[in-house]
Amino acid sequence: MNKPALASTATATAPSGAARNPGFGVKLDHVKGAFSRYKILALLLAIAVIWALFWQLTDGDFLTARNFSNLLRQMSITGMLAAGMVFVIVSGEIDLSIGSLLGLLGGVAAILDVTYHMPLPVTLLVVMILGIAAGMFNGYWVAYLRVPSFIVTLAGMLVFRGILLGITGGVTISPTSAPLIAIGQSYLPDLVTYVMAAAVLGLLVFVSAQGRNRRQHHQLEVPALWLDGLKLFVAAAAIGGFVYAVNSYRGMPTPVLVLLVLLGVFTLMARRTVFGRRIYAIGGNLEATRLSGVNVQRVKLLVFALMGLMAAFAGITTTARLAAGSPSAGSLQELDAIASCVIGGTSLRGGSGTVFGALIGALIMASLDNGMSMLSVDTFWQMIVKGVILLLAVWLDIATGTKR
Amino acid sequence: MSEYLLEMRGIIKEFSGVRALNGIDLAVKPGECVGLCGENGAGKSTMMKVLSAVYPYGTWQGEILWDGQPLQASGVRATEDAGIVIIHQELMLVPQLSVAENIFLGREPKTRSGLIDFDAMFARATAMLNDLRMPHINAAKPVSNYGGGEQQLIEIAKALSKNARLLILDEPTSSLTRREIDVLLDLVRDLKRRGTACVYISHKLDEIEAIADSVTVIRDGAFVGSAPMAELKQSDIIRMMVGREMNNLFPREEHEIGEVVFEARNFTVWDPENRQRKRVDDISFSVRRGEILGIAGLVGAGRTELVSAIFGAWRGTSEGSVILDGKPLRIRSPSDAVRAGICMVPEDRKAHGIVPDMGVGQNMTMAVLNSFAPGGLINEAAEMNAIGRDIARMRIKTASPILPISNLSGGNQQKAVIAKMLAPAPKVLILDEPTRGVDVGAKYEIYKLIFALARTGTAVIMVSSEMPEVLGISDRVLVIGEGELRGNFANQGLTQEQVLSAAILPAHKHAAE
Repeated sequence: MNKPALASTATATAPSGAARNPGFGVKLDHVKGAFSRYKILALLLAIAVIWALFWQLTDGDFLTARNFSNLLRQMSITGMLAAGMVFVIVSGEIDLSIGSLLGLLGGVAAILDVTYHMPLPVTLLVVMILGIAAGMFNGYWVAYLRVPSFIVTLAGMLVFRGILLGITGGVTISPTSAPLIAIGQSYLPDLVTYVMAAAVLGLLVFVSAQGRNRRQHHQLEVPALWLDGLKLFVAAAAIGGFVYAVNSYRGMPTPVLVLLVLLGVFTLMARRTVFGRRIYAIGGNLEATRLSGVNVQRVKLLVFALMGLMAAFAGITTTARLAAGSPSAGSLQELDAIASCVIGGTSLRGGSGTVFGALIGALIMASLDNGMSMLSVDTFWQMIVKGVILLLAVWLDIATGTKR
Repeated sequence: MSEYLLEMRGIIKEFSGVRALNGIDLAVKPGECVGLCGENGAGKSTMMKVLSAVYPYGTWQGEILWDGQPLQASGVRATEDAGIVIIHQELMLVPQLSVAENIFLGREPKTRSGLIDFDAMFARATAMLNDLRMPHINAAKPVSNYGGGEQQLIEIAKALSKNARLLILDEPTSSLTRREIDVLLDLVRDLKRRGTACVYISHKLDEIEAIADSVTVIRDGAFVGSAPMAELKQSDIIRMMVGREMNNLFPREEHEIGEVVFEARNFTVWDPENRQRKRVDDISFSVRRGEILGIAGLVGAGRTELVSAIFGAWRGTSEGSVILDGKPLRIRSPSDAVRAGICMVPEDRKAHGIVPDMGVGQNMTMAVLNSFAPGGLINEAAEMNAIGRDIARMRIKTASPILPISNLSGGNQQKAVIAKMLAPAPKVLILDEPTRGVDVGAKYEIYKLIFALARTGTAVIMVSSEMPEVLGISDRVLVIGEGELRGNFANQGLTQEQVLSAAILPAHKHAAE
C-alpha cells in the first residue's frame, strides 16, 4: 500500500521465522518456504487478483478513484479493530467483545453529543477513557483472575450490548453535531496530504540514514546502499501512487488518515518497543517469558486496554459516519476484525502476526464486500464467499507453515 | 540370513543442502544392545528418524538391511509393522487414559459388535506387565498416577506389545532417578535375553557401559567408530565423541567464599492439585557470596519445587521468607525476584527457557530489555552489540543472532538461556539441572562458567540429578528427600554413597556428617 510496505516485509521475515526449519529438501517445501517467507507479498498478490477480477466484472467501475476512496473508508473501522486485535491474538488471547464495545462506545459518544451537547474534545476524551477502562476490565479478568479470554469476552459481548440497549432504550440517537460527523465523513485538503506524504518520506530517509549510522557506530554489518535506496524508492512510489489516487477523488478521508497513523505507530511499537517485544514473547512462550522476570500479567492487561482504545476509535468513527448512535452498531464486527488478522497472517497459536498484514486482511474483506455489492450479489452469497475465503486463508497458512 | 538383524550402510541425509548425516554405518545383531553416542547435534536423533522412517525411504541416501532384506519403509507404521519401535525422549502417553488403554492405543481389541473389548484389553495388559516384572503397575489405573520412571516402563510395554524386535531408546533416563534407571536397565537386559535387540542412545556413559554390548560413536554427522564395549573405557568414548582428550571433566577452580548473602527460611510448598500434600516441608538454608551450593536428591524429592517457590514461580501455595544481603524480601513473582537480584535458569528448557520462534539474540536480552530502551524505543544496534558480546563470551554456536533459537542444539540453547539470566547481573543465580540434555563439550563450558561466576562473588545454587556433577562442582551439598532437608554437607571427601543414603534415609540416621 504505502510506506509500511517497507517496514512489514522486513518484519515478516523476522517474527514469522523463515529459517525456522530447514525443510525436507523436497521441491514442494521450497514452494512452502517461499510462501511463508513472502507472506505479505502473497497477500498483495491476492489483492491484485481480487481487484483485477472485480475490475473485469464491473467493466472498470471497481477501480475508479471514487471507489478506491470508498473502499478505504469502508475498511477503516474494521482496520482499527484489527490493528488492536493483532496484539490480542499475538499474545495468545482473543477478544469477542469489541463489536459490542464499539456499539456501546459509539452510543455513549452519540448521547454525550446529542443529549448533553458536550464539546467534541470532551466527548472524545470520555469515550477513549471508557474504552481503555472496558479493555482493562476484560484484561483484568483474563490476566489476573485467569478466566479464559474466550469466556471473559463472550460475557463482555453480552454485557456491553446489554448496557448499550439499556442506555439508548433501543432507539437510534441522532442527529449528531457537525464536528463529530466530520471525523467520519470529512476529507483532508489535497495540499495537506501532499505535505504529509513528503514528511513521511523524509522521515523514512532520515530513519534509514540514522539506522546505517548507528550500525556503523556499533561496528555491525551495514546493508548495501543500493538496497536501502531501492527500498526507499519503492516506498516513495507506493506513497506517491496512493496519494495521487486519493487526491484525484476528494482527498484523503479522515478515518483513513487515522488508520494510517495507527499503522505507523503500532508497527513501530511492535518492532521497537519493549512492550511490543513482550507481546510477541508472551505469545511465543508465556512461561519462559514469565520466568525471565517479565510481568506478563501487566502486559496482557495493557494489550486488552489497547484493544479497548481501538474499540473507542472505531465506535467514534462509526457514529460519525452514520451521524447517529445505533443500538445495533458493531454487530459481528469482532468477527470481521479477527478474520482480517487471520487472513493477514496472524497465527491463532500466538507469537506471530503484523499490523500491516491485518490491514491488508481488512482491505481484502472490504474489497470482497464492495465488489460483490457493486455486482449486486445477494447478501447471503456474500456471507458464504467471505466464510469460504476465511477458511481457505487459514488452511493455506497451516498447510504452508512449518510444523511446530 | 545375515548375522545382523539390522544393518544401516552409508546413510546420508541432507536438509536443504546441509548434510546432517554423512555416510553413517550402524549394525545390530539379534539380542544385542548397541550404545549410540555422540554430542548433541551429532546426528543421533536424525539417524533414528531415518531408521524409523520418520524420514521415509527416498528422502535419504544409503541402504538399510532388515533381516538381510532391503527395508524401504514409507512411514513409521511400516517400520513398526516390521518390528522397529522407537521410544522418544519425551514420553508419548495420554495421562488421562489407563495404562492398558495407552498400551493398546490405536490397536484396541474389539468385540464382535465393534466396541472396545475392555476385559480382553486389561487381561492382556496385565499379563504383559507381569511378564515384564512390573506387577506393581495396575493396568486399569490412569497413567498420570505413575511417576516418570514407571511411565517409561509403560512406554516400553507399549512398544513390546507391537512385537518389537528392535527397540530404540532415545535418552530414556534423562528424568529418572537412580533406582528407576536400575529398573529400566534390568528390563533391557531381560529383553536382550529374550532376543530383542536395542539401540540405546544416552549421554550417560555409566549406563552405556552397564548395558551396551557394543558402542557406535558419531560426531558432526560422521561415523567415528564402532567397537565392542569390552574393549572400550568411558574415556575412550568421550575422546571419540569430542575428538579430544578430556581427562578433567570438572574444571575445579579456586574461588573465595565470603559472607552469607542469601537465606531461605522455613520454606513449605504445597502441591497445586492435591492441597494437603506437602512437596517441600519446612526447609531453611543459606548461601555465601561466591559459594556454589549443590542441591542433590532423587527426582521428585522437591528440589525444583523449593527453588521455584524461592524464585516466586511456583503455581500453587507456598510459604517461607527470603533474606538477601540481610534484608527481608517479598517475592511474589519472578519479576520481583529478578529485580531484587535473584535469577533462575529453569529445569525444562523447551517449556520454560526459550521462546522457540524468537531469535537467539532476542531470547538473550529478554530479562534486560528495558536497559536498551531508555527513551521508550529499543536501541537495536546497542542491543545487537550486547548480544554479539554475549554470544562470543558464552561461545554460543549460531549462524546468526536472529536465527530462531529452536534451530540451535540443546547445549547452545542452554548457554543462551543462561546468558539471558546472567544479563541482569544477579547476586544469586539458581540453576535447575543446568546440564540436562547438554553434550559433553557444552557441559564443560557451563561448569567453567559457574566457577567464573563464583569468582566474581555470585552465589550459585545448582540443583542437579547427576551425582558426579554435584560432587565435582559444589562447595557444599544440600540433600533433599521427600520434601525434607536430609543433609547439609561440606564437599570435602564427600562420597556418592553418603549423598545417596542421605537422600533415601530419614535425617536422624545421619546426625554425624
